[in-house]
Amino acid sequence: MNRRYFILGMAALAGCSRAARPRLNVYNWSTYVAPDTIPNFEQEFGVTVRYATYESNEEMLAKVITGNSGWDIVFPTYTRIKPMLDYGLVQPLRHEWLPGLSNLDPRFRTPTWDRELQWNVPWMWFATGIAYNRDVRPAPTRWADLWDPRLKGRLTMLDDPEDMLGACLKKIGLSFSATDPAELQRAKQEAIAQKPLVRAYLNAEVRDQLVSGDVLAAQLWATTAQQAIDSAPNLAFAYPEEGFPLYCDCAVILRESQRSRLAHQFLDYLLRPKVAAAAGDYTRVATANGAAKDFLPEATRNSPTLYPPPAILERGEWPETLSPAAQRLRDRIWTEIKSS
Amino acid sequence: MKLRSWFVLPTWAWMVGLFAAPFAIVLAYSFLARGVYGGVERPWTLENYQRLLDPLYLTILLRSFGMALLATLLCLILAFPAALFISRSSRHKNLYLQLVMLPFWTSFLVRTYAWLFLLRDTGLVNTALQKVGIIHAPLQLLYNDGAVLLGLVYGYLPFMVLPIYATLERLDPSLPEAAADLGARPWPTVLRVILPLSRPGIVAGAILVFIPCLGAYLTPDLLGGGRTVLVGNLVQSQFTTARDWPFGAAVSMLLMLLVTLLVWGILRRESEQLT
Amino acid sequence: MKRWLGLYAVVFFAFLHLPLLTLSVFSFNSSRFTVWEHFSLDWYRAVFRDPELIEGTWNSVIVAVAATLISTVVGTLCAYGLWKRGSRLLTGTLYLSLVTPEIVTGISLLALFQWMFRWLHWHLGLYTVILAHVAFSIAYVVIVISARLRTISPNLEEAAMDLGASEWGAFFYVILPALGPGIIAAALLALTVSFDDYVITSMVAGVDSQTLPMVIYAMARRGASPVINAISALITVFFGLLIVISQRVREA
Repeated sequence: MNRRYFILGMAALAGCSRAARPRLNVYNWSTYVAPDTIPNFEQEFGVTVRYATYESNEEMLAKVITGNSGWDIVFPTYTRIKPMLDYGLVQPLRHEWLPGLSNLDPRFRTPTWDRELQWNVPWMWFATGIAYNRDVRPAPTRWADLWDPRLKGRLTMLDDPEDMLGACLKKIGLSFSATDPAELQRAKQEAIAQKPLVRAYLNAEVRDQLVSGDVLAAQLWATTAQQAIDSAPNLAFAYPEEGFPLYCDCAVILRESQRSRLAHQFLDYLLRPKVAAAAGDYTRVATANGAAKDFLPEATRNSPTLYPPPAILERGEWPETLSPAAQRLRDRIWTEIKSS
Repeated sequence: MKLRSWFVLPTWAWMVGLFAAPFAIVLAYSFLARGVYGGVERPWTLENYQRLLDPLYLTILLRSFGMALLATLLCLILAFPAALFISRSSRHKNLYLQLVMLPFWTSFLVRTYAWLFLLRDTGLVNTALQKVGIIHAPLQLLYNDGAVLLGLVYGYLPFMVLPIYATLERLDPSLPEAAADLGARPWPTVLRVILPLSRPGIVAGAILVFIPCLGAYLTPDLLGGGRTVLVGNLVQSQFTTARDWPFGAAVSMLLMLLVTLLVWGILRRESEQLT
Repeated sequence: MKRWLGLYAVVFFAFLHLPLLTLSVFSFNSSRFTVWEHFSLDWYRAVFRDPELIEGTWNSVIVAVAATLISTVVGTLCAYGLWKRGSRLLTGTLYLSLVTPEIVTGISLLALFQWMFRWLHWHLGLYTVILAHVAFSIAYVVIVISARLRTISPNLEEAAMDLGASEWGAFFYVILPALGPGIIAAALLALTVSFDDYVITSMVAGVDSQTLPMVIYAMARRGASPVINAISALITVFFGLLIVISQRVREA
């Protein structure tokens, strides 16, 4: 008797879930939307969004590369889009379903990595620079300033081969995306020379240490720096004079996704100025949505960290996608630096 | 078929399906080439193992070995007197054992994080030392080999205490008594009589501590500040950041080989000693 | 000598427990830093309001309970089977699974699942986590039960069969009850190992299957936060209670 009720109950439950709302699986960087972004979308479109986060492109790619991960939308940094295309992981976008594309900032309507926006919708962009405590005098304005012996033990660099080696390359006047082995060796020497000064190679976790004053200068992304500055006004951010990398995280729809229409609706929802503005303000990242700027609070809109003036932006460089051979070389150099 | 054969069948299934098979796949990967942007592809090659012979990677292996050895030694030195104390206490043996095990029952991640919390510049150790006046500026206690060592020792200490305790418990109490009767003082008795007799426990504990420390990944990651690369970090980075699965597989195979040889060698020596 | 040992024991236990105690104490501190501001339950409130944490905990519980049940049953049966007739191959494989570094186990299982899923078109999920957890827990269970079995006289079983019990009956009605406390100990061990696991779980977890250690690790990577202190205190208390209860059950 009991068993029959159990089976009936299970069947009812199964039936219920099939009549449940449509689902969308979105895999994004941690804290990249405002708290109400997802719930509002769910409510307006009557769907359930499974939203999970990752801390690095590699983490996301490792899951997605099988072509069978279960995710519909992911947010790779633009340099990873080409490899994803080569692997056939991305679905082409249908612009007729994305009227909001016109809201994008002109700089992002024909980006170098996808001139026709055939595959991606730029979401947020930022640069890597130097976050520092105003007590440091003179204030660091160049990558070279991070080799100052006075900063010994109070300096951190990013735990990211691309960014860290990139800073070394810029310091000696080379391109951020250099692939020539001789040039990379020189950059490696710089990194090894700096290592005794470096307290640790940290990413976002250095924010608290900047706020508490343990760390005086850190190579950091503009967005994390802005978050630190919010907590401690005596911090500031500098865009290095030698040049700095610019990154853009973009939304793509995975080819494996069976919910193309819904995915497009989500992307179009993200393109709404108010939604993008809310996300950009909450997460302290610069949004690629030009129309959203009007909806940002003034303090955010005028933040020199998040939205630097064009003169400064000109010094920025968009890193290129590395070829596998180049990546192998860089990875080896990274291991050498870390174990020196 | 006898009952006992049925009983071991599920375990066989699990071991073959979820241990041996994955192992075989990783072995296969170690002989393949790296896919363009990750994954694996033909041709079959020995290149990954040749790469291993590079001094850079051998240094990493050596350093990991050294760190694990040091951690095991420290664990031994710290654990032995404690195990001795518990085995000698007449009353609250169970209570003491539980006190030793309690940190083990909490999450390893939490225990590692506890040291992150304590050793920060604004952490308890520095704040306390400054309040007392021993130092005037915070010491950098975190992000170095010492912090990693501390994290490892703290995490695996219970694994050393229990096997040693178990062996001490089974020791014939008349032996130290006899030594005392023959005029030996307490400390030399411990060193000359008890220590050698507790060898099985020490060996078991050493294995239980050394192996995880060798492959440690979390502790150097959280407490080491990315300043050193140990074998565990190397393997992990090959499967994620570097996207070089074949090389990661080769490193894993090397690690497994070393671990297997070590354990097999030690166990054979121990059983030889017994016979 | 006894005095020195006693003194050492005090220091030893202090070393073992103070870090966790400190974590717990400061979970009640309203400030993020180690300067005491005032007593506050804010961080605990944050714990219960965080949907990621709640879901992670729920997933961890499901996985731990399922993996413990399966591995305890499978492991107990295996230990019994090995007790009747040993198999060096099986014992060796079990030991090998125990000493394999976690990172190696994790990546090998990921490789297996990804290879299989190319044909089966399944996804990683909670079930892959459970499968993985059982795989590494079985060895622990077998060791604990085997140790316990060694204290049981083989004559017990013979006597039961002489009195007319079948092989299965002898196992189920005689040996199993005698193993009781050992099974509880093994289950507890499997539960803890499963609940605590980060490395292997992070490799084989799927879209919906974030576990508590994964959530904690992500938070720790973003910077030390007193919310982690609060979670740690809760976990410590929970498992402490579990141990005490199991001890009482065993003594009863």
